[in-house]
Amino acid sequence: MSSLKPLYTLHERVWHWLQAAAMILLLLTGFAIHYPDRFGILGGMARAVGWHSWLGFALILNAALGLFYHVTAEKYHHYLPKMDDFTEGAIRQARFYLYGIFRGDPHPYEPDPRHKLNPLQKVTYLALLNLFLPFQVATGLLMWGANRWPDLFEKMGGLRMLGPAHTLGAYLFLAFLIGHIYLATTGRTPSSHLRAMITGWEEPRGERAG
Amino acid sequence: MRIVVRSSRLGREDDRKSASGLRPLGISLALLIALAAPGATAAGSPPAGMPPRPKLAHPALTLRDASGRNVLESGAPISTRQTCGGDCHDYEFITDSFHFQQGKNEMDSELLKSHGVAPFNSSPGMFGKFSIIPNRQLTHAGITDPEDADMSQPEWLTKCGVCHTGAGISEKDLKGRHFLDPSAVPDGSLDPSYTIRDRASGAVVPWDWKKSGVAEADCFLCHVPKAVRGARRERMSRGDFRWAGVATLVETGIVREDEGGAFTYVREAFNPDGTVKMGLLNLSDPTLENCAMCHGFTARDATTIQPIQHADIMRGTEKAGWIYNGAKISDTVSPKILGRDKMDFPWDAHAAKGLVCIDCHFSPNNPGRMVQSDAEKHLAYRPGADDPAVYLKRPDHNFARGNIPPETVNLTRHNTMRGCGDCHEAEKGHEFLPYKSLHFKALACQTCHIPEVHFWAYRSDEWGFLMDTGTSRITFRGIEGGIVDPDAKVTGFKPAYVPTRAKDGHLEIRPTNLITGVYWFDKGKGRPVFTWQVQKAFFAGKGSEGSWDYRPEITAAFADKEGIIDLPQAVYDTPEKIALVRGLLQKYAGIGDPELRIEVVPWAMSHSTVGKGQATNECTACHARNSILRRPLDLDDALPKNVPIVYGGKQVSVVDYGGQAPAFDNRELLASFYIIGNSRAGWVEWLGWLSVAGAVIFALVHGTIRIISGGRS
Repeated sequence: MSSLKPLYTLHERVWHWLQAAAMILLLLTGFAIHYPDRFGILGGMARAVGWHSWLGFALILNAALGLFYHVTAEKYHHYLPKMDDFTEGAIRQARFYLYGIFRGDPHPYEPDPRHKLNPLQKVTYLALLNLFLPFQVATGLLMWGANRWPDLFEKMGGLRMLGPAHTLGAYLFLAFLIGHIYLATTGRTPSSHLRAMITGWEEPRGERAG
Repeated sequence: MRIVVRSSRLGREDDRKSASGLRPLGISLALLIALAAPGATAAGSPPAGMPPRPKLAHPALTLRDASGRNVLESGAPISTRQTCGGDCHDYEFITDSFHFQQGKNEMDSELLKSHGVAPFNSSPGMFGKFSIIPNRQLTHAGITDPEDADMSQPEWLTKCGVCHTGAGISEKDLKGRHFLDPSAVPDGSLDPSYTIRDRASGAVVPWDWKKSGVAEADCFLCHVPKAVRGARRERMSRGDFRWAGVATLVETGIVREDEGGAFTYVREAFNPDGTVKMGLLNLSDPTLENCAMCHGFTARDATTIQPIQHADIMRGTEKAGWIYNGAKISDTVSPKILGRDKMDFPWDAHAAKGLVCIDCHFSPNNPGRMVQSDAEKHLAYRPGADDPAVYLKRPDHNFARGNIPPETVNLTRHNTMRGCGDCHEAEKGHEFLPYKSLHFKALACQTCHIPEVHFWAYRSDEWGFLMDTGTSRITFRGIEGGIVDPDAKVTGFKPAYVPTRAKDGHLEIRPTNLITGVYWFDKGKGRPVFTWQVQKAFFAGKGSEGSWDYRPEITAAFADKEGIIDLPQAVYDTPEKIALVRGLLQKYAGIGDPELRIEVVPWAMSHSTVGKGQATNECTACHARNSILRRPLDLDDALPKNVPIVYGGKQVSVVDYGGQAPAFDNRELLASFYIIGNSRAGWVEWLGWLSVAGAVIFALVHGTIRIISGGRS
């Protein structure tokens, strides 16, 4: 235990798991809406719609709190790629995932409380949190507000545009989730990343478990 | 009852002019109007538990003939122009409305074009518009070739005039000249107002208007509760137009028909002053029964449903299967409604509440009913805009109507009727429904409130193949057995859904019955092939028993081993059969380029509405893979393949041949609707699942290699 090092703060872990829970439940309720006859959970489509809306607002609130935290605690730099070595670093990380990991090579990046994400993670989360999540929130809000702002809803293409757009976003989030969960097993041990996100402490990655 | 005449509220200039001379009339009529004598509401008695509706009595009436004499003295046919029109009602104004004109006053090619009516039609109404039922066309004015003559004006009246209430098209030619006026002379030997195609010889021959007389507006058909459609039908069909309106009154006791078919007026029915005794005519607002005679089975509390009257199937029931009846379905004695024991609800929720047709389909200038839609002034209601005296003199007979397919008559006055939202505050109910306004915009109320009809209706009417009666191949849906068989089981049917234009122009989904026509189209002339031409191709002649004799080529190709051609054989199931009849049309009927076509016509369901207990309220009814909104309603087991399919005047792919039987496919029609849970954007699903599958495959392959490469993490 002496080799463990602190990595994630309590705020970060709570935020992450709330976000994860909201996202997973949104996907489940979303599937109940998209495939109501094949994926009947929660006792019917109307109830699924209700839960989906509440969960969406919970996710928005959590995202806003996360943004507030990252800005005020000056944690946002974790997500900003360093342009001087981004390309080289991203290639190095990709080579590790595609080649080095199979040979037991050490992780090219050793995270620490000041540098938690590798270049590929940075660009992925930057896009996820600043493009895909707002896109999904915007399309979802517009559909939720169809009764409240019908003109805006129609101007944005109505269900004909927003429905497929939101659905595509959901598929991409599901794909991300699968990849994210899998890559979480690539730590020193398959559960070390997961344990770090629960406890906040992580074993050093340098020498991989054999 | 007190009626206040307020001429200062007059709106239109012409009304204002009329009103000055009308004031005394209005006051006198107002004074004459009183609550009817007991018994006057017999035909309009409301359902049990409902209070009786007050009813106005019409002043004593003198029945006059065309010369203005009392018919009791002259014995001549009643002239409503003189009787009703004389000093009281504006006959010309009243009859310049669509019930009387049926499109004649809308024969404007630009108007038709702007409303998408096909160019081979001469009007948007029954008088001038082609319909797959009955595959007839009004002959266009100005034709020079007898081959271009199908249904002339006199023939139209003998066939359709029973319902279309006289005057207008029954009194005046296509140029607006009164048939009995000396100035009314035919424009050549083919003038469709003055000719008819002789059934025996096939030649176009003159029509003798002096012999037939004209059919003036049959005010009695709609305003006399005891009006008899059958007697009127008989007179119209035999071309005895002048007596048709009198025939309508045979059950009132005013007139008697002797064995020779002559009418005599019953002196005892008249007062000493020559007026008709009160209580015999009971002139009133049209009752349910009056409207029913032409529009569909309509009753307050009927346990026997018989929509076939005087050899005609009542129109709304025939086309869409609706029944407007306040009785419960479970109380039905006849016919045999399948599962009726469990249907402890009325045939129509509005009928059960005592609503009558004119509650929604009212006269637009009736001050007591007026919901005058006035988009420019943003008015939903104009209180007192029309003086009662103006209304009594000139009641607008362009009755408020909706906009439902395939009806197009009265093009400029669609969506004038009282809509559901004028009585119901839908937003305050429907607690179970999320996104109410979105649902109410996308769906007509009928979509959920007419989930099915428990009666039969036309399924197909195919004039492309003629039976040995010389008429079409007809099939029905919603019944197991013949429609006149008392033992047949009425199964009812569920509607198909199509988009239609709502009042504000947006598309909304609406329930319909679909009637499929298979007919021949003359590509050279740009119009459907006339029935008499199809008969030429199919038949060598008429047999002694009235049936037609098929040409040997037809029998050889279509008949079964016993030489019989019945419904199962009367189908185009091979390209060779289509080619054969095409050749016969060219050879015997002279059609240069005939083409077999399918037309799928939606007939909107507006009645047979149910309350919330029976209405569709399950989300997954619509929002699921098997959404009812995309229900594949069966069209006809034997629709020909690889022929053009017409829907709404355009070639649209609305038939799916992929299943056991051809079925309606509305995917293209509903393409602008995204139904969550049902609609799928193909590329989104592909891209989405591809990305998910990519992530899974990546994880599986990558993880497997990790394990194989040494059990490393």
